Amino acid sequence: MKGTLNLVGYGLSAIGPAIATGMIFAAYISGVARQPEARSVLQPIAFLGFALAEALALFGLVLAFVL
Amino acid sequence: MKPNDDGAAWSIVGYLLSGLLFWGGVGWAVDHWLHTRYFLLAGLLLGAGAAMYLIWLRIGRKSK
Amino acid sequence: MRSLHLLSASGGGFVPPSSNDFIFPSFFGHSQYATKPILLVFLSVLLISIFFILASRKAAIVPSKLQFAGESLYGFVRNDLGRDIIGHEFMRFVPYLFTLFVFILTNNIFGIVPLLQFPTMSHVSFPYVLAIITFVVFHYIGIRKQGIRKYIKDIMFMPGVPKAAYILLTPIEIATYFITRPLTLALRLFANMFAGHLLLLVFILGGDHLLKGVIGLKLISPFAFAFGIGLTFFEFLVQCLQAYIFTLLTALYIAGALADEH
Repeated sequence: MKGTLNLVGYGLSAIGPAIATGMIFAAYISGVARQPEARSVLQPIAFLGFALAEALALFGLVLAFVL
Repeated sequence: MKPNDDGAAWSIVGYLLSGLLFWGGVGWAVDHWLHTRYFLLAGLLLGAGAAMYLIWLRIGRKSK
Repeated sequence: MRSLHLLSASGGGFVPPSSNDFIFPSFFGHSQYATKPILLVFLSVLLISIFFILASRKAAIVPSKLQFAGESLYGFVRNDLGRDIIGHEFMRFVPYLFTLFVFILTNNIFGIVPLLQFPTMSHVSFPYVLAIITFVVFHYIGIRKQGIRKYIKDIMFMPGVPKAAYILLTPIEIATYFITRPLTLALRLFANMFAGHLLLLVFILGGDHLLKGVIGLKLISPFAFAFGIGLTFFEFLVQCLQAYIFTLLTALYIAGALADEH
């Protein structure tokens, strides 16, 4: 078996965004379930938070290939 | 909900990826050309920031 | 891997499954066009044709079981993917969406059908071709609908942004529409099928290898097989989901091209 440690690092760095994404959508879903009319307020916030978390994961992906 | 609202959510990853790849690629090219090291990081941050701005324009602004 | 090698009685080291397991020998001589994935594609076309011809041949008001199966699949694609996403012009695109969905679904499910057991879409060229077709379709529709200048202008310039920001944003928009979208569309399907098939190979081949080992390892191997079987059901879920997502994104892109502005 061979490979590069970069990919192990990328795997480790993807844990954080993965948990973050799960928490963001869990909060979004429970928020909408409790108060369905809040959907239009919560949706952009949830997706922007998701974008922030996802940006970190993609940083890891890019840096794993570049460095 | 308008038919197009789901589309914006799916395009988040696409925007982030293209932002990071394009401006990160520019930074990498500048690094390669000038033999420096920090333009790559600057390009990546710039790309991520620009992509976030674009996502805000697509999703955040629409709900106002 | 080393400890496993020492423990196994047969002495042969465990060869972990790799991308080499996706390369098949040719059926006739050295022709690279007569391999298992190509055969599976033709088989899928044949199966889909037979199924829908049988399902629609004796269409009745009180449907038979076969007709019901075919119609509910069609209704799902037409209503949930066509009407709800594309809007009032959806009927023009339902044939394409339905063909895409059924074709990808059948080829994915080949991954867990006994004896076939290979998802065709885990060869990257098939998703690439499908993504290129989708790419051409949605850009063509956008250009037909809005004219080439307005379509390109809408993509390049997001309204309501200070002029200086276009230097930053326009390259990203162009890269998204013309590179990232078709690429991620193809790679998402490919990567899911590839990784899923590899995962099943790891557990089944690993379980098989453990079975050849010493008594302690023999006792572990049922767990590996049980996991393999459980993951097979999980793979079924993923295969349906990926076919759905590919079609959903195609519909979303078509809807985006039809919309006047984004």
